Amino acid sequence: MLRLLRLLLLCLWPMGALSASEILLVGAEDQPGVRSFVAALEVRRPHDHVRFQTVAQLPRPALLKPDTRLILLDNAALDWRMGETAGPAALAMRVSRVQAEQRLGKSRPSYLSLLWSDPPLPRQLRLTRYLLPQARRIGVLYGPGSRFLIDELRQAARGLGLEIVAQDWADLRDSRPLQHLLGSSDVLLGIDDPDLYNSKTAKNVLLSSYGRQMALIGPNAGFVRAGALASTYSDQDDWLAVLDDLLDQPPTHWPRSLYPKHYGVSGNQQVARALGLEPIDPNAAALALAEGESTP
Amino acid sequence: MPGLSRKQGRHVFPGTPPAPRLLLLTVLLGGSAMADDLFIDNQNLPQVLTATRLKQSPAAVPGSMTVLDSELIRASGARDIPELLRLVPGMMIGYGAGNQPTVNYHGSNVNDARRMQVLIDGRSVYRAGLATVDWSDIPLAIEDIERIEVFRGPNTVSYGANALMAVVNILTRSPADSHGTRLKITQGQDGINDFYASQGLGWEGGDLRLSMSGMQDDGFDKNQYGQDYRDSRRLTRFNLSASHTLAPDQTLEWQLAAKEGSNQRPYTYTPVFPFVTGRGDNADLNAKDYAGSVRWNIDFSPEHSLYVQGSAQQFDRQQVWRACDATLAFSPELTRLWQLNPDYAEQVARNANNPPNNSDPVLQGLRNQIKSQWDSGGNREVCGDVDQSTRETRYDLEIQDTLSLTDTLRLLSGFNYRYDRADSQTYFNGSLDDRTWRLFGQLEWRADEHWILQGGAMFEDSELSGSSLTPRVAVNYLITPRHGLRAVYSEAVRSPDMFENNVNWSYTVKNLTPNVLGLHNGEYFVKTRGPGNLDQERMRSRELGYNGYFADLDLSLDVKLFYDEITGMISEPLKNNQYIASNANKARFSGTETQLDWRLGMRDRLRLTYAYVDAWASNPDDRRLSARNSGSAGWMRDWGQGWSSALFYYGDDALNQYRYERVDLRVAKRLRVYGSSLELAALWQQRLDDQPTTVEQNRYDSRHRLSFSAELEF
Repeated sequence: MLRLLRLLLLCLWPMGALSASEILLVGAEDQPGVRSFVAALEVRRPHDHVRFQTVAQLPRPALLKPDTRLILLDNAALDWRMGETAGPAALAMRVSRVQAEQRLGKSRPSYLSLLWSDPPLPRQLRLTRYLLPQARRIGVLYGPGSRFLIDELRQAARGLGLEIVAQDWADLRDSRPLQHLLGSSDVLLGIDDPDLYNSKTAKNVLLSSYGRQMALIGPNAGFVRAGALASTYSDQDDWLAVLDDLLDQPPTHWPRSLYPKHYGVSGNQQVARALGLEPIDPNAAALALAEGESTP
Repeated sequence: MPGLSRKQGRHVFPGTPPAPRLLLLTVLLGGSAMADDLFIDNQNLPQVLTATRLKQSPAAVPGSMTVLDSELIRASGARDIPELLRLVPGMMIGYGAGNQPTVNYHGSNVNDARRMQVLIDGRSVYRAGLATVDWSDIPLAIEDIERIEVFRGPNTVSYGANALMAVVNILTRSPADSHGTRLKITQGQDGINDFYASQGLGWEGGDLRLSMSGMQDDGFDKNQYGQDYRDSRRLTRFNLSASHTLAPDQTLEWQLAAKEGSNQRPYTYTPVFPFVTGRGDNADLNAKDYAGSVRWNIDFSPEHSLYVQGSAQQFDRQQVWRACDATLAFSPELTRLWQLNPDYAEQVARNANNPPNNSDPVLQGLRNQIKSQWDSGGNREVCGDVDQSTRETRYDLEIQDTLSLTDTLRLLSGFNYRYDRADSQTYFNGSLDDRTWRLFGQLEWRADEHWILQGGAMFEDSELSGSSLTPRVAVNYLITPRHGLRAVYSEAVRSPDMFENNVNWSYTVKNLTPNVLGLHNGEYFVKTRGPGNLDQERMRSRELGYNGYFADLDLSLDVKLFYDEITGMISEPLKNNQYIASNANKARFSGTETQLDWRLGMRDRLRLTYAYVDAWASNPDDRRLSARNSGSAGWMRDWGQGWSSALFYYGDDALNQYRYERVDLRVAKRLRVYGSSLELAALWQQRLDDQPTTVEQNRYDSRHRLSFSAELEF
């Protein structure tokens, strides 16, 4: 009976996963979030050997078995893997475009697959258009670390018939750039740049924009709780689905970087109400965005 | 955390029709499952836009509100607040003189504006002593205003007594939004000469703005006799505003403001006695206003916040002028006669050469004495200084608590204590003070996504005018979140001010030349006492309204139908000959108001307001400042490359019987100069009628006025 079941399982299993492999997750420290993620991945990949080790416990990357599949969970893990070129291919998670620009510049090592943690800007733009169809001028603050995204954003906006009003915000203590931007745009779109959007600036940005009855979209799901109108985000389940897909493929097929295809929409209903907007239906919003998503 | 459980996300597989397997619902952020989610960045962000900070959307506001935003304020080119209020439907702007604007909502008396509450960042600038708002003397430059919210209708529950007909809530720019330097000068015809300079700076956990400003103009040019009209003004202001973040959940804001200036007043005293020819040449007034306030905001939780605000203010008016009349004006017998029968005393004085007889032997005896005084030197002309100075002081403490009981129920409650003191030898024979305390509460309940019920009450007790309870109920029906219907019933009271109720009016004329009975000073015979037992005026207001925002057109519209009644109305003018105030009058205002704000595309904004007011008052004087038809129309356009224009029309069909129609055109060009921004603007104001403004002596030489301004920001 057991044998029959195993046979059935084998038949149903996708081709790429026929052989069990070693999946090694690497992070700075063992913490509850990491533990629950590792456990969830184990459930998802019962045939693989999934384990977690801290950077401190690991030898140099080159000393690992070459067919190990590495999943890097934070900056410390990324630094460790980038210590040398030799070693197994790695999926780098929880890294944003802005962080990668600072850490890697334009280089994209062949052994690294960067899985972006920040919501993709075209998707955020589509969310903006979906929630505020009358907004045409999209105000965007950028700093030295996020300037490089503006061209890409402009291009994405053009395709949607939107105009990007970009504003450099170099000195965060001086709110004139913010005021100026609020005066010349219809909605604020946040770039996930921790230098600009953090617990110190949140109050100023959110109160100033609300004072003008303007919504902030993004920069991430954490800001929605603080008072942004909405954002797209990918959580653990989304990432598990993405990983599942990638781990089924040989590392040579891994893309150099990717945004998750799986995501949800988070909306702040109280803010929507105060701005006189319909309650945000996250499911409907996500479905509507999906329709506009280009090739998966 | 009930508020967070709604923030759900659905996972979809984009591109292809979503498979049910992927439509998983998860609780974002709030649930314990998410707390550990490695991929949701929590950052320990504070919850900034909390239930207590968020206000109702325009369609859900329990009343009629007009917001004058900074763009509109700038585009209007207005130099002071009353001119801006022409953009508010139903607001009647009149002028006693060039430096004495009066603002009334729907109307009432030309000379006084006693029934509107005016707040600057929560601090009332309504003078309790003399029941007015001295718009020219408010220690605030228009450049420091972020926006003005005008609540059109009574709302004592939220704003305290005297919020009888409307509330003008002026919000200044927050120091955090005023960094850098701003310099502005305005010069123009009619002696316009204004300046403004501000410097804002910030540091870790705090921001500060200092501004200095000045204003000068000649007021109206000529009176009805073609003579120069003495109503110029000159003033200087100082403002300091700061905010500090004490802790993530606590902020402290404080402000200091001062204003010094002189307002010219023409000499208007006409001698009571015959044959007096001497006269003074002015009755100019020196006005100094000082204000300080501090506000401490505490957020106990996203659902509970509180503030404590304390303020101190002083309104100092120095007005000493030289008047001439006959020596008899200081006769004790004439004073006695005035006290017994003011009408007869006036006849005796005006005909001192041959005063009429009286059948009452006491009056006749006094008349004979007065006549013999007149004949034995009482007819001699004497001049002296009349001191009409006043100083009013106010201390105010308010605690307001906002509690979001559930996601759909919010309670706002508070306590306020106020101490008012008025010092004036002339008006109060020394000083007079009053202590007022009030309790207020308001509950907002969202029954469902369509119905919102808001109700509240205020209890107020004042030493001088007793206690009152005023309720307020509003129902809003939201057709959609952006289109709402409202029905409002509210009651409001206005306490009689110290002057109306407790005036003890007498003139001690000083520096008499020549001396009277060997004395430097003399007591003028006219003395007036307030009744002391006046009740509060009471307003009952009913309103039906619609507020909507058409997103695809970017057009907002508000329509209101109203029926307001004031009973127990005190409408006697504040004059010292026989001032007998009473609660005997009443008034009724009914009509409709509309406001429309339409952004046509990216460059144009169209704004229209219209009010139809049917006013009735038992005292005809209270009907004078109600234009039956009034309104404004504005077109603002951004032409690109730094050019912008604003065209405004203002019209009242009859204010105190005079038509008022004006068109303003402002053209501005913004330039970048070495990283700073320079705006040059010209404002052309054209009167379309040739009537005096509000009263017959307010006349300009020319129907148009041109002014220029230059503003530099860096």
